[in-house]
Amino acid sequence: MSDKLLSVRDLTIHYITDDGVVKAVNGVSFDIDKGETLGLVGETGAGKTTTALGLMSLVPDPPGKVVGGEILFNGKNMLKASKHELRAFRGKEMSMIFQDPMTALNPILTVGEQIAEVIQLHDKLSKAEAYKKAAEMLRLVGIPDERMTEYPHQFSGGMKQRVVIAIALACNPQFLIADEPTTALDVTIQAQVLDLMAELRKKFGTAMLMITHDLGVVTEICDKVAIMYAGQIVESGDLESIYERTCHPYTKGLFGSLPSLSKKIHRLSPIPGLMPDPSNLPTGCPFHPRCPNAMEICKSRAPVNTEIEPGHFVRCLLYESKTGEGEK
Amino acid sequence: MTVTTKAGQPKKRRGQGKDIWRRLCKNRLAVFGMIILAGLVLLAIFADVIAPYPYDLQNYSEAFEFPSWRHPFGTDNYGRDILSRVIYGARISLQIGFISLSGGALMGCILGAVAGFFGGWLDTVIMRFTDILMSIPKTILAIAIATTLGPGLVNAMIAVSISSIPTFARVVRASTLTVKEQEFVEAARAIGASNARIIFRHIFPNVLAPIIVQSTLGVGTSIVLAASLSFLGLGIQPPTPEWGAMLSAARGFIRDQWYMVFFPGLAIMLTVFALNVFGDGLRDALDPKLKN
Repeated sequence: MSDKLLSVRDLTIHYITDDGVVKAVNGVSFDIDKGETLGLVGETGAGKTTTALGLMSLVPDPPGKVVGGEILFNGKNMLKASKHELRAFRGKEMSMIFQDPMTALNPILTVGEQIAEVIQLHDKLSKAEAYKKAAEMLRLVGIPDERMTEYPHQFSGGMKQRVVIAIALACNPQFLIADEPTTALDVTIQAQVLDLMAELRKKFGTAMLMITHDLGVVTEICDKVAIMYAGQIVESGDLESIYERTCHPYTKGLFGSLPSLSKKIHRLSPIPGLMPDPSNLPTGCPFHPRCPNAMEICKSRAPVNTEIEPGHFVRCLLYESKTGEGEK
Repeated sequence: MTVTTKAGQPKKRRGQGKDIWRRLCKNRLAVFGMIILAGLVLLAIFADVIAPYPYDLQNYSEAFEFPSWRHPFGTDNYGRDILSRVIYGARISLQIGFISLSGGALMGCILGAVAGFFGGWLDTVIMRFTDILMSIPKTILAIAIATTLGPGLVNAMIAVSISSIPTFARVVRASTLTVKEQEFVEAARAIGASNARIIFRHIFPNVLAPIIVQSTLGVGTSIVLAASLSFLGLGIQPPTPEWGAMLSAARGFIRDQWYMVFFPGLAIMLTVFALNVFGDGLRDALDPKLKN
């Protein structure tokens, strides 16, 4: 654990609105080592994007508020950093790939200008050198550099996402957040973009937080997985333990609702019900109203994180009893 | 949509300025407006050479002359050649129109962008201030400012500038509010851009279209507003010719000597028209999405 890059402890983010407090992220903890990829999986509204924005200290405030916890990046608590430090940090140490490449690029600046901008902001390079490096980045993501002077609308969706990736990696950050980078793309392009990301990640040794709701994407590029539900991580561990020895009923439900090529399943078994309203979470375990294994105690007692095998954590009362005591 | 090139042939790179120019030239009406404007600017610059008479040469024996070959636009009540006065007037009117508008636009844009971007109490303070300015009719506001500062060309320009601030502030604030919600602004933040950089490099160019439209409309208003000040003796002092002032001075003779109001009026109309069509064309040319 000596090469730990990012360590998130009990991160809690609430949106304080007139209609009440929306508890988007409730005590999320995870660690990412250098060069490692963590897949953050969950349904829409589970708090994945808010977690990502929290890491970048970009939660819109108001109404968002980081209520508690700490984010240690290379041992430094980012929540206590000054605005100036944060600006120097964003884009240089940690950068982000946005969900929708159609809107993440400024429509009236050429792609070359946009890639060069991040380089000029962080590396002390002249304009000409920055543009040279921008051209290099563009080639790296598979776009001929003579398209530097073109505008985003002249690119296809997949190409735009490549440009966004080029911007994110231009300053060679140690940590990259990819917020559903393939959701807005069609399936054939998704594979290309994922391959590109995996390749570049290896090349630069960048650690990554991959936010997705696609368990297939996770197997392709992640080392570890964290399953998020209602602002909490309900199960986490390495790829194998989650996929082979699934524990939490919610994770089981996610896998149950996936179609499979190898097994013949007559009918998919979706998880009944909907994600709870984050401004009005159920008591006890937030998953109990939808859980097939719910017990009476689930309604009143919230489960704690339990380590059922080294590195494999589950937040469910079913497993707390097996190991006796919870982790904390 | 994109420029197609033959395979293997490197695409010819064009500078952004050239691109805008090429797109502007495709719009015939804009080119027409541009030519009129260029003509007016040339008239203003070379007024000494072009004008047939000095603008203040009085000749009572030729007063109230109908347009003729000697005086194509006729003469006014002092026997001054109206053509010469209109030509010299271009100097003053264009100066007032452009300078005072630029001043107002600059201030208004900064205030509007800051208010829209930061929101909160800053927004409230700035916008309530512009509301106050807006609740006073433009002319009265300009008169009040000009009276306080005293008569003269520069003071008239300051007065006109200030009275055009609120319109710009409103337009820019509204557009800023829409643009700042877009994801590329968040993306800019995510690469570590400062607020000033986000406002001026990412948001401002995106709200340029309404600013250009507002400006081209505003130049005309500014010219007319400055004219009203001149009429009240708070702006340009006679005998300096200024279109609005000429118009006001001639209003008493409108029944018999229509040409005294007609030509300065025509000059104002032409300027405003040219600015409008040119502005429209410029707005389209600056938008890379319409590139073709």
